[in-house]
Amino acid sequence: MPSNSSPVSPDVVRKVAALARLSVPEEDLPVFAQQLARIVSYIDQLNELPEEHAAGAQVPATPLRADEPGPCFGKETLERNARLLHGHGVVPRVVGSG
Amino acid sequence: MLSLRESVVGIAEDVSAGRASAVEVTRESLARIRERDGKIGAFLEVSEELALEEARAVDARVAAGESPPLAGVPIAVKDNMWVEGRGATCASRILEGFRPPEDATAILRLRQAGAVVVGKTNLDEFAMGSSTENSAFHVTRNPWDLKRIPGGSSGGSAAAVSARMVAGALGSDTGGSIRQPGACCGVVGFKPTYGRVSRYGLVAFGSSLDQIGPLTRSVADAARLYSVMAGQDPRDSTSASLPVGRPEATLETGIRGKRVGFLIEAEAEGLDPRIAANLGEAREAFASAGAELTTVSIPRAPYAIAIYYVIASAEASSNLARFDGIRYGPRRAEDDLLAVYLANRTAGFGPEVKRRILLGTFALAAGYYEAYYGRAMRAREMLRRDFDRAFTQVDVIVCPSVPAPAFRLGEKVDDPLNMYLSDIFTVPASLSGVPAISVPSGFSPDGLPLAIQILAPSFGEELLFCAARAFERQIGFPDRMPPGLDAASR
Repeated sequence: MPSNSSPVSPDVVRKVAALARLSVPEEDLPVFAQQLARIVSYIDQLNELPEEHAAGAQVPATPLRADEPGPCFGKETLERNARLLHGHGVVPRVVGSG
Repeated sequence: MLSLRESVVGIAEDVSAGRASAVEVTRESLARIRERDGKIGAFLEVSEELALEEARAVDARVAAGESPPLAGVPIAVKDNMWVEGRGATCASRILEGFRPPEDATAILRLRQAGAVVVGKTNLDEFAMGSSTENSAFHVTRNPWDLKRIPGGSSGGSAAAVSARMVAGALGSDTGGSIRQPGACCGVVGFKPTYGRVSRYGLVAFGSSLDQIGPLTRSVADAARLYSVMAGQDPRDSTSASLPVGRPEATLETGIRGKRVGFLIEAEAEGLDPRIAANLGEAREAFASAGAELTTVSIPRAPYAIAIYYVIASAEASSNLARFDGIRYGPRRAEDDLLAVYLANRTAGFGPEVKRRILLGTFALAAGYYEAYYGRAMRAREMLRRDFDRAFTQVDVIVCPSVPAPAFRLGEKVDDPLNMYLSDIFTVPASLSGVPAISVPSGFSPDGLPLAIQILAPSFGEELLFCAARAFERQIGFPDRMPPGLDAASR
């Protein structure tokens, strides 16, 4: 089970799952919490790592291309993955009926 | 059965010279899949008609005088890459039924070079795993021992090449997903430098890490597939503009006088005795090839798994947010938008994907971001500097590909951290972006494939292939067949 000092508890898993748009059944929360606590505890070894001076995360900027219009997928390609109605893709209803 | 030369280079030569037709070779590959894949489970989809249609088109090109570099070569593609006309499930229920709009750039280049895609291979869901047991559809078995895992996440591709169902296959490597299954299945697995091969059409897992690469039976075959796929692509802004060079032309130049550094930290890990003994043989092989042997340190390598599982999971949690039940795959209607997201994502993702999304969301959450993601990013930068320093001392680095040979199916499935540690020797190259290749290096006393890994500086693929080929020449081309296949194919 997660130690008292672990930042991962079933309650944290419930909150993180909500942020991630996942629903974890109550009975599965302890197992996920236990597994994640063990992984996070392993990751915590990074705290022992002395940081070199100015070891900032130097992520190189992604080069950008010119913003120019180009060919796009046609209607036939779109229809492989979505039903089209009156020229528009049909998606599940996302607005409540009541 | 035809007596195929069974190699990418050999088939391309035979088809180009008219000694075999692409249709004959494709039929043979399809027949082998029918005969062997029932036991192995390497494929998620086999497209016989489309493959034969493509093969006929290749034969027409050859008849018209063309000699494309992959003429008639049957290949398998991991099911997280777009191939027009086939599915791309990523071994996930959430992408069942999705039809890619076009080819991934790597696939387009292979097809233009005459390759024939015979099918899509199994993987751990969204490439998250080291055993191919996390597929939503079925497990894949190691051709060398059907009770063992083929490695992962490109386990289907590695098994398909190992069982000689195809001459070559594509995998994707985020933390070792080409090299580790290559090692487990006794085939070559190559991860190019980050930016060498376009990621367009590869379903994203960890965008700062993902690379497409080949699985083949020989180093020369890997160099051929890589040479065709590599090079800048305007549709992937992280693809590099540096020239690809001609790795095939320099393949046989040897490594006499090159400094080969054996990784100190790998040997401090308490190696499996079978791996330790094999590493000793590798040392002798490099010495016999005329290399100057030394040791080299990457002080931050022991922290690589911790760094990797923060960064890769954080990127995965962000990338997989697009699978919301609206734009892809099966769409379940609910009463409001949040309910649509929850219902579709909860039903569509398997346990390991959920675990990674939860871990990544946790590492990026306010309150934890600096302690986890920020720290991991700084540690990654220090690891990169370690590699920069190391490559001023040596030309290539050598270490094992895996901490132990292929383990048994089910052995680690309930222990995610233990499973993650399978990648301990592969993630350092992923985090630093350098190219790395896993080359078969013999067999354990219990008959399981063993492999060593060679790493070179970023964009040093020519040197890397050259070193790998020199090693392969010393060890001898692995002609041994997985048990049970001998009678069927010879």
